[in-house]
Amino acid sequence: MSVHSILNHVLGEDLPRSLEVFAPELVLCATVVLLLLWRMLDLHQRIPTCWVALFGSLVAFFGVFAQFMYLKTGGAGVGGLEFLFDQWRLTPSGVGEIGPYFTGLLVHDQFAVFFRLVLTLFLVLVTALTILTGIPDAEDGQDFYTLLIGSTVGMLMAVGANHLLMLFLSIEMMSVPSYVMVAFQKGRKQAGEASLKYVVYGAGIAGVMLYGISLIAGLLGTANMPELGERFAILMQGEFFSMSNTTALTLVLGMMMVLVGLAFKLSLVPFHFWCPDAFEGASAEVCGFLSVASKAAALALLVRFVLAFQGTHESLAQLGILFGIALGTISIITMTFGNLAAYSQTNLKRLLAYSTIAHAGYMVMAVSAMLVILNSPSSSVGVGQAATCIEGLMYYVAVYLFMNLSAFAIVALLRNETFREDISSYRGIISGSAATKVLCVCLAISFFSLVGMPPFGGFFAKMMIFYSALQAGHAHWFLWIVLGFGALNTVFSLFYYLNVLKAAFISEPEADAAPVEVPGMAGAYVLLVTIPILALGMSSLQGDLTATAKYVAASLFQ
Amino acid sequence: MMSPEFYSEVGNLLMWLLTAAWLLPLLGFVIEIFGGYWSDRKSKTPAYLAVGCIGTGFLLSLVALLTWVDAADLNLWHFGDTESAAVAHHEADAAEAGHEDDHSHSHDHADHSNAHGEHGDAHHDGGHHGGHESHANDPFKTAFAGTFYRLGKYGSLDITLDWYIDGLTVAMFAMVTLIATCIHIFAIGYMSDELTERYEDHFVHTEDGGHFHRVGRFYRFFAYLSLFCFAMLGLVLAGNIFQVFIFWELVGVCSYLLIGFYVERKTASTAANKAFIMNRVGDFGFLIGLMILWTWFGVFQFAETNPETVGSTGLFQMVRTADGELETQGEGREKVVVLQAQQGIHKDGGNPHPTIPYFLLVAAGLGIFGGCIGKSAQFPLQTWLPDAMEGPTPVSALVHSATMVAAGVYLVGRFYPMFTPEVLLVIAYTGCITLFVGATIAVVATDIKKVLAYSTISQLGYMMLALGVGGWLAGLFHLITHAFFKSLMFLCSGSVIHGCHHEQEMTKMGGLAKKMPITCWTMFVGVVAISGLAIPFLGIPKLGAIAFSGYHSKDAIVAAGMTFSSLNPIHSLLFFVPLITAGITAFYMFRMWFMTFFGKPKDQHVYDHAHESPRVMTAPLLILAFFAMFCAIGGENGPLAQLILTTEPVHVAEGAMEAGHIGLNLPGHHQIHEFHASAGAVALLVAFGGTILAYLFYGLGIVDTGAMQKQFGGVHEFLREKWMFDELYEWMWVRPTLVVATWAAAFDRCVLDRFLGFLAGMVVAISSWDRRFDEAVVDRLVNAVGEATSSVGRSLRYVQTGRLRQYVMFIAVSVVMLFFVLFAYLPR
Repeated sequence: MSVHSILNHVLGEDLPRSLEVFAPELVLCATVVLLLLWRMLDLHQRIPTCWVALFGSLVAFFGVFAQFMYLKTGGAGVGGLEFLFDQWRLTPSGVGEIGPYFTGLLVHDQFAVFFRLVLTLFLVLVTALTILTGIPDAEDGQDFYTLLIGSTVGMLMAVGANHLLMLFLSIEMMSVPSYVMVAFQKGRKQAGEASLKYVVYGAGIAGVMLYGISLIAGLLGTANMPELGERFAILMQGEFFSMSNTTALTLVLGMMMVLVGLAFKLSLVPFHFWCPDAFEGASAEVCGFLSVASKAAALALLVRFVLAFQGTHESLAQLGILFGIALGTISIITMTFGNLAAYSQTNLKRLLAYSTIAHAGYMVMAVSAMLVILNSPSSSVGVGQAATCIEGLMYYVAVYLFMNLSAFAIVALLRNETFREDISSYRGIISGSAATKVLCVCLAISFFSLVGMPPFGGFFAKMMIFYSALQAGHAHWFLWIVLGFGALNTVFSLFYYLNVLKAAFISEPEADAAPVEVPGMAGAYVLLVTIPILALGMSSLQGDLTATAKYVAASLFQ
Repeated sequence: MMSPEFYSEVGNLLMWLLTAAWLLPLLGFVIEIFGGYWSDRKSKTPAYLAVGCIGTGFLLSLVALLTWVDAADLNLWHFGDTESAAVAHHEADAAEAGHEDDHSHSHDHADHSNAHGEHGDAHHDGGHHGGHESHANDPFKTAFAGTFYRLGKYGSLDITLDWYIDGLTVAMFAMVTLIATCIHIFAIGYMSDELTERYEDHFVHTEDGGHFHRVGRFYRFFAYLSLFCFAMLGLVLAGNIFQVFIFWELVGVCSYLLIGFYVERKTASTAANKAFIMNRVGDFGFLIGLMILWTWFGVFQFAETNPETVGSTGLFQMVRTADGELETQGEGREKVVVLQAQQGIHKDGGNPHPTIPYFLLVAAGLGIFGGCIGKSAQFPLQTWLPDAMEGPTPVSALVHSATMVAAGVYLVGRFYPMFTPEVLLVIAYTGCITLFVGATIAVVATDIKKVLAYSTISQLGYMMLALGVGGWLAGLFHLITHAFFKSLMFLCSGSVIHGCHHEQEMTKMGGLAKKMPITCWTMFVGVVAISGLAIPFLGIPKLGAIAFSGYHSKDAIVAAGMTFSSLNPIHSLLFFVPLITAGITAFYMFRMWFMTFFGKPKDQHVYDHAHESPRVMTAPLLILAFFAMFCAIGGENGPLAQLILTTEPVHVAEGAMEAGHIGLNLPGHHQIHEFHASAGAVALLVAFGGTILAYLFYGLGIVDTGAMQKQFGGVHEFLREKWMFDELYEWMWVRPTLVVATWAAAFDRCVLDRFLGFLAGMVVAISSWDRRFDEAVVDRLVNAVGEATSSVGRSLRYVQTGRLRQYVMFIAVSVVMLFFVLFAYLPR
């Protein structure tokens, strides 16, 4: 193939399609540029930059939504959907077609679009929250939103990564702005310290991961993810997957190092050290963003990365089982450590940091189950069960978004009133104004959902993941142990969540504390993000989300 | 059969009207319960809100009633144009024949029904009978059903919220909302002393000899009332038996909350608990019934009435054929009932004709009836209702006489197609025992509300008896008329209690007629109605006998009982007991009236302070008195009875001979009509007997009642102690439970605790050893290690810049460790 024809292909076919798929990200990039210009042109005196950011993220959200519905309906939308499709100029050969774009660096499929939808929705909600809490003041707005949106663009690319290079780039792109965001409260010494720890830790991990990538790419001669498994199978032709085999050993080492990088983003034990410190230093809004968005993106990336090593060859199956069990072990350690460490916390943000660590453990359980199922020689489980794992994972991510956002939003909104974040400052806040009561009730709902109590959304999310682990147990007994620890941890987690609720609902307020008067809008916002927790637990929406997750998961294994 | 378009149009309209009427009180509740937040305790706004909600509900129900009557093309007035000739003929006789004529008049119509009842030869006079008759024989033609919302579908278990609207539903809606509106208005006056920041409860004594003080709970009372209205209307609107159960429990909760409204009074909280627990006993049976129904039928819906899908589902359509017969196979224990539709999930799934064993159908019926026993305070679960009078009087009027306790009767009527003759006999005897027990206790009760409570039990027994002996219409007819006159009497008693400053003992009243004339004479209307008095030998053409509502419905019940006992001579108690009790009813009711309003004042203090209630309380009395007089106008040929009749199950009209295992003969319409005249006559005679006796005893006072009490000391004491039911239950259930509990506690203390104590001692011994070991060996070791670590840490502090380095070191260590672990796990 001549250079000319490659160029023709790239410019004539690949580029228009790529731009069509990439349009929402481009909108976000344009928003970033606009934000920077806004300040230079002194427009922020008239219209605060936050509204620009909100507008840009809303447009991007609707762009991704259009893409998602276009794939789901096959382009046959009616009414508002048709209008959306027209506005975004979606075509059957562009968004309508699943496959790699940007010459194979990124991939476009239902899985990616689902996660992009979750991430853009989250961006909209977080932006709205920051407008309410006013955490970046008018002067700093454009900087904060530039970082926020930039980080989100990195995440959007991560969920579609199809190339090891993209994997590294997207992780860095989502990490670097978040380092700065952690330090955004410039006056606080803690924030700077937290950020420094985060940066150094991230840099170290980036090195390890890059090393891993180079090992894999060097060994297999490609960094294109769909080809990795195939290449490895060719290399292993006629050889046994054992500890004396250098090819296998090198690949295991390389994969492990990449997984370490992902584990850092997911804050899995033992790569979680940054997490409590960073959360304590950062403002609650940023914590919410880090705990949900970067975790969702990293999970999607994890699924993509481990699925790259799927194939029919026996050594691939052994590799899959090995990493399945490794992830299962990590999952056990992570959730146990996260839940136990949360007990002794007095700062609510630190407590929630350990809570997110524990939840990462639950979520990785689904990936572990999927790996074991996919690579099991047993015929009792198959692709169908693997799809169930992914289905559970996606349901979990969707519910987790609302649970954690609700919790962090409440922390942020109450901080604005009490200027404190320790649990003792929550004593007796239920006796505050009506909006404060709403906040308390929402806090209870989100915490109970985090524990996994029926009938809230968190229960069904947890149930689906546990169910997938139960299925995977038929393929390998180890997953039943993981399941046992998961169940045990659910009980553990009850106590420290309830401790906070006890302070809020039952304890007497501190003697000198004035009643907490949260503005009405705050209550409305928290209610808005809490209602989905209820709706995803006990309304027909639950069935809808399950159906959507099932559809996306099925498409991943086609 | 109406066209599908017409069906869906009318059905939707009715659904929207009644749903709005049903949900408005819920909206009211949601707002009112926060009344303490948005309003102060002296504001009457919550009450106005509640009245507005239920009043609007009444208007909507009224519109729905008219819509339904119009859609069903119902001729509410049995004396229609087609019959004017017959009427004219009787008009001539009416003046001289009087009362007897009224019955022969009805009898004339019975002939028509009769002819129709015997089906085949009904065609020749097809143009002769009223339009309603054809409906009467196919209730599903005028019923509208549909689904609001599916709660969930698990496998084949389909749990939905349905609605079911027919003549009975609209009649109940209109009755409940009307009475509730009146009672809400009455309660504004009655509860007005709660409008305070500091309410003094004279019945609760504090240790220092004073009275208990609390804040007023005006808004809370109305919030509970609204919640109750919502639950009660939901129960009536429910389209499946499971949904009925949901609202069944919800009215139970409301009843609990309202009985225990004065929660600080020990008696009130105990009564609330008693009501709730005794109802649970009945609900246990209900649950068993539900389980049987679910397992063998697989649906909960009453009936599918959409013309496009009729017959595809619904319990009633499955268990009965189009003629209303039970199709059975086999004999004895093998006897099974063939289900009609193919929806049932019988165990052999491929079977095109699923069946249910006959005894299980009986068990299901008994189970559901068990729930009704609890809710309607029937024997043997009747003892909670008198205690429930601890609640405020408007509650007694609404919840514990007119609506909730009638829900059991309503459900028996609604679920009638599912009951086999065996179940009906049980229902009849339960009602029979209850009505006698209740009436006899009422004779000696001296608390004005207790008299009414026992009267309610007795009247509910009448309704059950009527349903059990095949007088379906009579039972439900009495349910509606009773609701009016009993709620009227309760409100009157409330007015008396209010006027006498919370004095409830009739022995301290007397002569109040002068002080509170409106209350006295509206009460008189209720007393006459419940006693079933009529003016003999006088009938108004087209209207029947000159009598209040109670006469007509009680007449119908006695007629049904009489017919039944003539067909089944062995069960003649089912006629004589209610007949005699009719006399007792008249006696104790007039006794109460005379004792309260006439004679010399027995307590001068009470008398001096008594006063007539304000208008807000007397106006509802007048409204209810009007309905107690005229709601049943025309008797069984009048609009109310005809409206209810449209819902009558198919098989009732014809009756049945040798039905079921026990060969019971159930009377049909024509047979009941044959006995109607004579039954009416004897019932009236007995009622007059009771009335005259009461007048002699308590009106004229020619007999010394005190002496009589001494004369019949044993009987009097037995009745005063309410037939010793509470003592019986104390001995049968409470004491044994306590004994077993004592044993269990003793076992716990003597065996388990000692064993545990022994174990604990062992543990203590071991741990003391362990402690020594710890201190001597482990601690020293740990201290040594700790010392070492911290000394290393201290020494490292000068070298390291902070924990950050440790973090980075952890990365390296972790990566290396992880790799070694993975390496170890690799196959060799």
